[in-house]
Amino acid sequence: MPSRSTTAGAIDPARLAVFESLAASIAEEMGATLRHTALSPNIKERADYSCAVFDAGGRLLAQAAHIPVHLGAMPESVRAVAELAPWSPGDVAILNDPFRGGTHLPDVTMVSPVFRPGRGGRRALVGYVSSRAHQADIGGMAPGSMPVAQELVQEGFIIPPVRLYRAGALVPETLALFLRNVRTPAERQGDIDAQVAAQRVGERRLAALAERFGAAGFRRAAAALLDSGERAALAGMAAIPPGAYNFEDALDDDGASDEPVPIRLRLTTSARGWDLDFTGSAGQRPGSINAVAAVTRSASYYVLRCLLPPEAPTNAGLFRPLRFTLPERSVVNAAPPVAVAAGNVETSQRIVDVVWGAIAQALPDRMPAASSGTMNNLAAGGIDPRTDEPWAYYETSGGGLGGGPDGPGLRAAHSHMTNTLNTPAEALEIAYPLRVLENSVRRGSGGAGRQRGGDGLVRRTQFLAPATVTLIGERRRRGPWGAAGGADGRAGRNRLERAGRRDRALPGKTTFQVEAGDVVRMETPGGGGWG
Amino acid sequence: MAEQGGRRRLLGVDVGGTFTDFLYWDGAALRLHKRPSTPDDPGRAVLEGLAERGWRPHEVVHGSTVSTNTLLTRSGARCALVTTRGFRDTLVIGRQARPELYALHPTRADPPIPDARRFEIDERVAADGSVVRALDEDEVAAVLDRVQASRAEALAVCLLFSFVNPAHERRIAEMARDRGLTVSASCDVMPEHREYERMSTTVVNAYVAPAMGRYLSRLEAGLRAGGAATGLRVMRSNGGAMSVAEASRDAVRTVLSGPAGGVVGARAAAEAAGVGQLISFDMGGTSTDVSLLPGRVLERTDFAVGGLPIRTPTVDVHTVGAGGGSIASLDAGGALRVGPESAGAAPGPAAYGRGDAPTLTDAHVVLGRLRPDRFLGGAMTLDAAAAERAVATLSDGFGRSATRTAQAIVEVANANMARALRVISVERGFDPADFALVAFGGAGPLHACDLAAELGIPQVLIPPAPGVLSAAGMLQAPVVKDAEQGMVLRIEPDATGREAALEATFARLEAEARAALRRDGYGRCRVERSADLRYAGQSHEIAVPLRSASRAAIRAALAAAHRARFGHADTGRALEVVVARVKAIARSAAPPATSAPAASGPEAARTAPQTSTVVWDRPRRTRILDRGALRRSIAGPAILTQLDTTILLPPGWRARPLASGSLRITREGRR
Repeated sequence: MPSRSTTAGAIDPARLAVFESLAASIAEEMGATLRHTALSPNIKERADYSCAVFDAGGRLLAQAAHIPVHLGAMPESVRAVAELAPWSPGDVAILNDPFRGGTHLPDVTMVSPVFRPGRGGRRALVGYVSSRAHQADIGGMAPGSMPVAQELVQEGFIIPPVRLYRAGALVPETLALFLRNVRTPAERQGDIDAQVAAQRVGERRLAALAERFGAAGFRRAAAALLDSGERAALAGMAAIPPGAYNFEDALDDDGASDEPVPIRLRLTTSARGWDLDFTGSAGQRPGSINAVAAVTRSASYYVLRCLLPPEAPTNAGLFRPLRFTLPERSVVNAAPPVAVAAGNVETSQRIVDVVWGAIAQALPDRMPAASSGTMNNLAAGGIDPRTDEPWAYYETSGGGLGGGPDGPGLRAAHSHMTNTLNTPAEALEIAYPLRVLENSVRRGSGGAGRQRGGDGLVRRTQFLAPATVTLIGERRRRGPWGAAGGADGRAGRNRLERAGRRDRALPGKTTFQVEAGDVVRMETPGGGGWG
Repeated sequence: MAEQGGRRRLLGVDVGGTFTDFLYWDGAALRLHKRPSTPDDPGRAVLEGLAERGWRPHEVVHGSTVSTNTLLTRSGARCALVTTRGFRDTLVIGRQARPELYALHPTRADPPIPDARRFEIDERVAADGSVVRALDEDEVAAVLDRVQASRAEALAVCLLFSFVNPAHERRIAEMARDRGLTVSASCDVMPEHREYERMSTTVVNAYVAPAMGRYLSRLEAGLRAGGAATGLRVMRSNGGAMSVAEASRDAVRTVLSGPAGGVVGARAAAEAAGVGQLISFDMGGTSTDVSLLPGRVLERTDFAVGGLPIRTPTVDVHTVGAGGGSIASLDAGGALRVGPESAGAAPGPAAYGRGDAPTLTDAHVVLGRLRPDRFLGGAMTLDAAAAERAVATLSDGFGRSATRTAQAIVEVANANMARALRVISVERGFDPADFALVAFGGAGPLHACDLAAELGIPQVLIPPAPGVLSAAGMLQAPVVKDAEQGMVLRIEPDATGREAALEATFARLEAEARAALRRDGYGRCRVERSADLRYAGQSHEIAVPLRSASRAAIRAALAAAHRARFGHADTGRALEVVVARVKAIARSAAPPATSAPAASGPEAARTAPQTSTVVWDRPRRTRILDRGALRRSIAGPAILTQLDTTILLPPGWRARPLASGSLRITREGRR
C-alpha cells in the first residue's frame, strides 16, 4: 500500500473514477481542438502532439495519449514557466528550450495557468493546462529543423519560457520575433493559433471542473487520483521478481564521428519501486543524439506503462515509485550547449531498449525482443517550383517490432516512443514537390526465431526540385537484438539513387543536397526474433 | 419527408446481433414483434418472424449487419487487389500506427487480402492528373492472368491519384470485367484522396459485396415465396434506403445500417413531437451509440470496422462500451470501473440467473429501479438476490452497503456516457442546452434524466417503442442515392465569380444520382449539394452544405462552419474544395410519423399500478405504472414500465404523454 496516501479514502472509488474521467476528457478535448484547427500536416495528418492537465502544484493529472516521448517532459514545462509568475488569467507561456522545459526545438509547448473565482473577487490558481506540438520548421541550419548539428543554436530558434499572451492579449513582439526566425511563417502562425485555441478550451474546462468540485474537493480529488496512479504502478511492479538487473546497448554513432555511444543501466526493482541508475553511460557528445533528463524519464515511464493494464491512469502518481540516477552532462542528461534534436527521437528509443532489456532479464517469458529502435527521420525543404514558395517537410517511418512470447512482431509500424501516422503519398504530393515511388514491406528483415521479428519498411521518395535533405536514423550498423535465443533483425540502410549513376550508400545521420529527379531510398530495421 | 403509407403494408426490420426487431404497418396500425436472431443465416429470423405473425408486407426496409459481421469475422470473398507499382503493401502498412500506444506486444488484424493476391501495375498519374507513366495493356493482361490464376472471386482496383484522373483505373476495371471478374474500382467506390483510406474502402467493398448480394437475393426469394410482394430495400449507413441492386454492388455503404435506423427513428420521433434539434441516445446491452442532430443528420467519413477505414458517409454516431451488461470492477489503483467488458446476453447480468459478475443492470435491480416482476413486460423474471450478491462483492469501498455500491456503479456509468455526449456536443461547439435528448434502446430511458441533468439538457423524449426504434427509422427512411467526387480546387481569398469546374461536377453527379433513382423506380426526387472544404494547407476538411458554386458563397460557407466548430476562421486565406457531394432523396411510402405501435398478443396485458420503495438520491416511495396506461402528466419519482424498456422519472422531473406517442420529460417548474 502506498506510503503517501494520506488523503486516500477521503473520496470514494466512484468519485475518483468520475474525476479521472473528467480530467482526461479535458486533455482529449484540447487534443481534438488542436488537431482539427492546425495547419501543418505534421500535426493534423501525423498527430504529433500531446495535451495535459496539471494541478496547482504542477503535478500531471491527465494526459491525452498520443506521443509517449512527451510523457515525462510536459511536467518539466510547467516547472520551467514558474519563473514567469505572478500570473494573470488569460496568460499563455510559450517555450521550446530543451534545457528549460522542452525536449527538442521543433516541439513547441504552451502552458496556461487556470484560475477560479475566489473570495472577495480574488482569483485562486487551480492548475495548468499545456499543449505540445511538433512544428514542421523552427528555423536553424536545415529545413525541418532536424539537422546533423553540433550545437543547440544550430538546430533552430530557441524560445525560453516567455509570455505569448498577457491577460488575454497577444504579446505581438513575441510572435513577431518567432515568425521572423522560421522558414514557413504562415504555416507556423496557423499552428500557433491552433495551439492557443486548444489552450483556451483547456482553460475553460479545467476552471469548470474546479468550480464543480470546489477548492477543497478539487484538491482532495487530485490527491486521490495521484494516489490511485501510484497504487496502479506498485501493483504492476509487484509482478516483477525483486533484484538488480544490468543491461547495456549503444547508439550507432552521434553523427559527428563513427564512435558508438553506449547507454548503461542498473535497474533495482522491489515492491516499493524501481531505482534506475544510468551511471556508466556515455558523456554528452558533439552530435545531436544527447537526451535531456526529461526524455530519459519519459522512456522509462513508457516501459512501466506497457507493463500495466490498459485502464491504468496516466498521471504523476504513476511515476512516483521511479527513482533516477542520471550522470551529469551525459547522453541521458544533457546540459547546454549541445545539440539535442536526435536525443528526443533516437536516443529515447535506445533508452527504452535498455530499460526493456533489463526487465526482460527479470521477466524472460513476458518481454518481446527489441523493436526497430529508431524513428527513421527524414526532413527536407527548398523552394517549390510550382509556387516559388519555400517548403519544409518532416516525416518519420516505422519498422519491424520485436517477436515475443505471444506471437511474431508487427511489421511496418511505429514502435515505443512514437506512434505518429505517415503522410499519405497523395497528401504529400499535393503539398510538396515530391513523389513517393515505393512504400512497401522490407521482406525478410525481421529476425528469425520461434516468433519472428516484424519486417521493416522500404520507402523511396523522389525529389522533383533541388532540396536540402537530412536523414537521422539508427540501427544502421547492428540490427535490433533478438531475445530468448532469437536472431537480431536486419539493420536499416539509406541509399541515394541518381539517374545514370550507381546507387550511393548514405550514412545513418547526414545532411545533403539533392537534384531534381534524385531518389532517397530508406530501408528501416526489422524487429528482433524471439525464442 | 415521407408520404403517408395509405393501405400499403410496410415492414421495417432490424437484424441485430441478439434480437431481430420488426415494426409492421398493416395499413391502419403499427405492430411490433421481436424474436431471437439467427446469426448463421440472418434472413431466416426475418422470414420466420413474418410467418409467425402472418404478415405479408408490400415493402420491406431492412437493416442488416451482414457486411459488418462479414468483416469482423473475416468471412468475405476471396479477393485480389491491383494497384500502382510500389504500393501493394499500402494495405498492410496503413498509416503505420499501432492500435494501442502502451502494449508489450501490439497486434494488428491481417489485411483481408494476403500478400500473394496483391498485384502491381507499372503506371503512374501525378497529383495534377497528368500521366507520368502510361498504362501498358499487355502488362495489365498479364497481371489479370495472375489474378485469375489466384482463383479470386472479386477484384479491387485502386491506383494512385485515380480520384483526379481515373482513366487507368477504369481501363483496368473494364478489362477485368471483360474476363468475368467482379470488380470494385476506387474511382467508383470512393473517389477521394488519401490512398490507404480509399484502398481500404474499396477492398472492404470487394470483400463484403458477394456475401451481401447472395444474402439479399436469398431473402428476396424467401419473401416472395412467403407471399410478400417485395420492394425490398436496405438501410444505408448514412440514413437513407437503397435498392437491393445497389446494396449488392455498394455493400460498403451498409456497414452502419442498424445505428442509422436508430438515428432516423429518433429524428422522426422528435419531429413528430415538434422538436428540431436533438441528441439521439441509444443504450443497449453492451454499448451506447450517441449522435447529435442540429436540425439535420450529421454524417462522417472517418469510420473504421475491424481496423479497416471506411470513407463512405455514415451517420455521425459515437460509440462507447457502456450498456446494461457492462461489468463493474475495482482496478489496481482503487477506482471503480464500469465496462468496457460486458456480460452480454450470455451469461448476462447476475439478475438473469446465469452469471455472477456485477453489472449495471444488477445495480438498477438493487436500487429497486428495474422491477423483477415487470421486466420485458413480465416475460422474464429477475433474480434480485443474485443481483445484490454480485453488487455486494464490490462494497468494501462503500461502507459495505450494496445500495451505495449500486448508486456508485450507476454514477460511473453515467460519467462514461456523459463523456461521449460531451465529445459530440461541447467538443464541436454545440451547447447541449439547445437540444432534446431522445432516449431509446433497452437501457436508454433508465439513464436519460441523469444525463440530461449532467449536461444541462432541458428535455428528454422517449419514443413510443424505444426498444425497436431502429426498425421504426427504417420505416421512415427516404430512398437516397449519394454520389461524390474528389478534387483539389483552390479558391483565392479575393476571387469572385463562379467555380465552373465545381458547377460542372455537381451537375454531373446530380444527373448520375437522379438516373440511379429513376432506374429503381423513383422518378421524383430532391437533391442536396455539399462540399468538403478546408483552408489551403489544412489537411482535415469540413463537410458544408452548398447552395451555389459562387466563390463568395463557398468562402462564406466555410467561414461559418469553421467558426461554429472551432471558434475562429481565417477569411484572408485561400481555401480548397476537396470533395463535391450530392445526395438525391426520393419519398417512399411510410406510416404516419405520429402512429404509436398498438400492442397485440400477450404484451397487451396491462399490469396494475403499485407503489414501492426505490433508491434515488435516497430511498423514496415511488409509483410504478404501465406506460401505456399513462394519460396525464405525472411527477417523479415514478417508474414507467413497458414491454421493451423501463423509464426512470427521478424526483424533480415531470413526464407528459404527447399526441405523437412520445413521452416528454422536463425539469419540474420549467417548460
